[in-house]
Amino acid sequence: MPSELTLLEFLRNRLYLTGTKEGCGIGECGACTVLLDEKPVTACLVLAVEVDGCIVETVEGEATGGQLSVLQRAFVETGAVQCGFCTPGMIMSARGLLRRNPNPSDEEIVEAMAGNLCRCTGYEAILAAVRRAAAAVRPAVGPLAGEVGLADGRSLRGAVPKRDPEKGGRR
Amino acid sequence: MLGRFDYERPTSLAEAARLLTECGSSAAVLAGGTDLLVDLRAGRRIVRLLVGVKRIDALRRLDVDSAGELTIGAAVPLNEMIERAAIRRTHPGLVQAAESIATYQLRNRATAVGNLCNASPAADMAPILLALGACLIAWSPRGERTIPLSSLFVGVKKTCLAPDEIATELRVPAPEPGLRSRFLKQQRLRGHDLAVSSAAGTYAPSTGVLRLAVGSCAPTPLLLEPIEVGRSSRAAVEEKAVRAVQVAMRPISDTRASADYRRAVLPVLVKRLVADLLAEGGAP
Repeated sequence: MPSELTLLEFLRNRLYLTGTKEGCGIGECGACTVLLDEKPVTACLVLAVEVDGCIVETVEGEATGGQLSVLQRAFVETGAVQCGFCTPGMIMSARGLLRRNPNPSDEEIVEAMAGNLCRCTGYEAILAAVRRAAAAVRPAVGPLAGEVGLADGRSLRGAVPKRDPEKGGRR
Repeated sequence: MLGRFDYERPTSLAEAARLLTECGSSAAVLAGGTDLLVDLRAGRRIVRLLVGVKRIDALRRLDVDSAGELTIGAAVPLNEMIERAAIRRTHPGLVQAAESIATYQLRNRATAVGNLCNASPAADMAPILLALGACLIAWSPRGERTIPLSSLFVGVKKTCLAPDEIATELRVPAPEPGLRSRFLKQQRLRGHDLAVSSAAGTYAPSTGVLRLAVGSCAPTPLLLEPIEVGRSSRAAVEEKAVRAVQVAMRPISDTRASADYRRAVLPVLVKRLVADLLAEGGAP
């Protein structure tokens, strides 16, 4: 493989995984965001040869068995997808965030997503989608039930046992 | 798109140095690559060999020794530094500077040492590291060299590093008791932008010494003369600091701001910085 091939070029042109988009090619728009050993990076500024021995995750891995993930469905439900070009990068940044911080504050969501530009939506629906996805997989505290996303994309709606604050757990 | 080059990924400094020496000026060190690859794509740099250094253990150190001296290896991504709680406690200005750089994704790749070696006049890590009195350690087959940051920058995007020298780590001296540190960056927008003006400072109540450094206002980041605060009023110290900055700065007009704007804004940043650092009962 040529050393000068970027990870982005490798994913799109060699592996035909075209979910990852090129927006700027210089790391400024986030459209090419993938997870590299679980860390969000812009694939345009990573050489393919550098990822030898690493795990790369792209948006193609979000849905399972043809079912959208809870995160993807949240994007659909909040209207966070217009032209859709920024969406794969947004999804991967959000996926990286929720893995390392399943209960992010609004500020933490903004900080995590700030490296992904969108020309269509004005961002609010996208931030709402990330909040919605985070809440959906978090056990409900209190009388109202949350929607629990299952790995195969189905969801359970119903009463979820209350978290006992004395026993600790996330806020 | 990036040109044609080979890539090697040595696991030792000696091997990396050998590769760089063999190829001379047509080889470059690849750490985070977030400046280098952009330059390659634009044709601003042409290389025949990239020497990837992220697998060299010696460059991955990030630790604080018992005396409080901080070592930041050349291959340590900014986010790793930002997420180290101990560093945020003892050197908040350092974390502020790192957090201001680019985006979360880029901070998973970009490095503090790389930011310095790229030597942009607007390098965000430079002012705070200058104020903290940090040194850059450079390794070559001839041996190791300790370069005070105040000597590192020799021009726009130029450092005093020799072609076969590899910057291996940053050493930040142990902070004086209760040392306060801050970094302020004026940008055109919130989010990913280079500095229009920047200022960093440290203040040690135990010694009464205020150290200031400024960026994006001269061909290189500038460390100013330390100011003894003594019994001076805050207003007097602010005035002294502002005058020092106004004398030292040589701003240009570029795509981000005019020289006049920079002359107007930087003194404001410096005043805010001084006020924050000298605030009574201020936190580190």
